[in-house]
Amino acid sequence: MISAVRSRSALRAGLVASYILLVEWTRVLLAQDSHFTVAALLLGGAALAVVALGWPANGLGLGKSHLALRVIGGLALGAVLLLPAAARSGAVPLLPAGLAAAAIAVSVGEELAFRGALYAALDELGGAPVAVAGSTLIWTVAHALSHPPEFLGAVAAAGLLLALWRWACKDLVAPIVGHVVADLAL
Amino acid sequence: MKRLAVLAAAAIAYVLAAWMVTPGFYDGFGPLQPYNWTCPPPQAGANTKPSSGHTDIKVIDGKSDANSAYTQDGQIVIGFLPDSFDAAGKSSISVDVAPLNTCPQPKGVQFVTNIYKITADAPLKKRANVTMLYSNLEPHPDAIYRADDPSGAWTVLERSQQGQPYTIFASTDKLGYFAAGYVASSPPPGAVTVGGGQTLPIIVAVLIVVVVLAGLPLAVMRRRRSAAGDQEDEEDEA
Repeated sequence: MISAVRSRSALRAGLVASYILLVEWTRVLLAQDSHFTVAALLLGGAALAVVALGWPANGLGLGKSHLALRVIGGLALGAVLLLPAAARSGAVPLLPAGLAAAAIAVSVGEELAFRGALYAALDELGGAPVAVAGSTLIWTVAHALSHPPEFLGAVAAAGLLLALWRWACKDLVAPIVGHVVADLAL
Repeated sequence: MKRLAVLAAAAIAYVLAAWMVTPGFYDGFGPLQPYNWTCPPPQAGANTKPSSGHTDIKVIDGKSDANSAYTQDGQIVIGFLPDSFDAAGKSSISVDVAPLNTCPQPKGVQFVTNIYKITADAPLKKRANVTMLYSNLEPHPDAIYRADDPSGAWTVLERSQQGQPYTIFASTDKLGYFAAGYVASSPPPGAVTVGGGQTLPIIVAVLIVVVVLAGLPLAVMRRRRSAAGDQEDEEDEA
């Protein structure tokens, strides 16, 4: 009985991880053509959000309790994510306004997918350590096509920070707010 | 308390990891680096002058080696296949890449990059591949253009494969002046941008102030409420 439940959890986690990787890599490849960049980001964000459908809000960390504190936590996460770039502001690129909406869509979609559905599926499979480590690993692999190799350490560290917040506070609102703030500010 | 310590350690680890790569935070949307302009657009903010570059290509058995020439900031790269130059009597080919100090805009074409002059001390025999970075502050270019004289006629180069965002490729059978742009019958709209640049430290400072000013009272209220709840529980028990 236990092994049947576990194998079903493993199958679900595997499917969620595979779907997320497929969407992320397809989105990145499509976005390389400047004519499709915004469309690829918007559709990619929506496709990532789809994976969170069917999960209870509390299971994803989207409960309404202490909402103000969660939002404040998100702003704090955003500040931490931006701190290294702010310290060297002379070398910081700007985000075109046309990409801002697309950046929001991808940020929300990624959080629902990685720290939402994937985290929940891995948590069900092996508990918090597996959820934190697994979601960080898949997050890093998913960014291998969009980021130069030297950035993957920082990508992994950001994924770990957001996953640990999800674990420590049982909250996804703050990672969403922090990710959106960071993407919009750059 | 233990969870808070783990979160703080993760935050410090992230800051250290992100500090080791420029610009410190990157989510794949824009170019990795701001463009270095000869003539910066008004919205560019702080600007670093574009750099130049020099490459010496070896000639082995009368044939030039495969190599590439590029500027130090990587805003233009030209790649040469083996035996690309007419290298008769030479032991090496000297290639120079330099940004033009002025920004002429030919009629009917709107350039969105600097103009670069690429010269070599031997003529080209084979096509060379040109790669140019462009900025997110201007509309995307459709093509790379080449001219023998920046104030003369500009021709469109054959565009190569799609590449990384904010990068455009083309191949050329001659050296000369190069710039990326698009056909324009009217001036392009001004590019509006969000965040970044000089505003980023202000954004982060505002975030910190908001977190402190709003977070502390919320935390205090929460603690008072839970303390009051405990007191009520004790009274109920009594």
